Amino acid sequence: MSDTNEHKLDPQKWVERYGDYLFSYAIGRVNDSGKAEDLVQETFLAALKARDRFRGASTERTWLTSILKRKIIDTYRKKYSSKESSFGEHDGTVFDGDFYRDEEPFKGHWLEGMGPNSHSFLPEGELEQAELMKFINLCIENLPATLAATFIMRMIDEEDSDTICKELGITPSNLWVMLHRARLRMRECLEKKWLS
Amino acid sequence: MANGPVYRMMVFMSKRMIACDEASFLISLREDRKLDFRRWWQLKMHLLSCHLCRKYAHQIGELEHSMEVYRDGCSHESCTHHLSHEAGSRIDKELSQELNAK
Repeated sequence: MSDTNEHKLDPQKWVERYGDYLFSYAIGRVNDSGKAEDLVQETFLAALKARDRFRGASTERTWLTSILKRKIIDTYRKKYSSKESSFGEHDGTVFDGDFYRDEEPFKGHWLEGMGPNSHSFLPEGELEQAELMKFINLCIENLPATLAATFIMRMIDEEDSDTICKELGITPSNLWVMLHRARLRMRECLEKKWLS
Repeated sequence: MANGPVYRMMVFMSKRMIACDEASFLISLREDRKLDFRRWWQLKMHLLSCHLCRKYAHQIGELEHSMEVYRDGCSHESCTHHLSHEAGSRIDKELSQELNAK
């Protein structure tokens, strides 16, 4: 075959060339180094099995990343369907007893301390990027798994809502509520981190 | 008085007023899609009277900005994690076993 060179993959070099990159990609999304290592390994093995299907339309790295991405979405999907978090039921209602008062006539008002305390949670002056990264990671870690999955897909991977709904098998109204609940928690967590 | 126009106006308004839970939901929703006129108006009216939700709206903007910074930063060095040596060689071994099995 004349064009085999274009489609050539080099599995012996994968760990050396892409190991750190794929590991970083995974750890930013599953927050567990053991799990991230497993995902990298599974990705390489799956890639090896599917290497006949590599057409050289993308680079080796892009191709491996797309396989890893599928694997990560699978872990989200498993978490979502096992409903391991207390957010199993998404009936589309916006009310969330962790954040709002439940008694009339104040139903739906902010619970003491759960709404914003200051105008701004970001510190004045130049943003300390390393600190921001650290806080965001810690706060994502504190999210219930299903909320973390939607938040990461939307805010880090910048997937559109149709894709997220399809991948997780949820309706758009569920997605909006879940994203709202994730933002509620992220905002509260980031404000507390910066004030402490 | 109880049936007067002012009273009826107030009943009309209160039925259409939203509380902070709905308002904060709409603040989140408008990041992802365009609000229809009714919701846009309900949110606007709520924000006029609620300083907590005005703060909330500002902070959600900051969250969006922070995530932008996060995304940019993570495509560069500052976010690179290194695969441990042990994990690297374990995966390498698995790969070559698989290769040789062919």
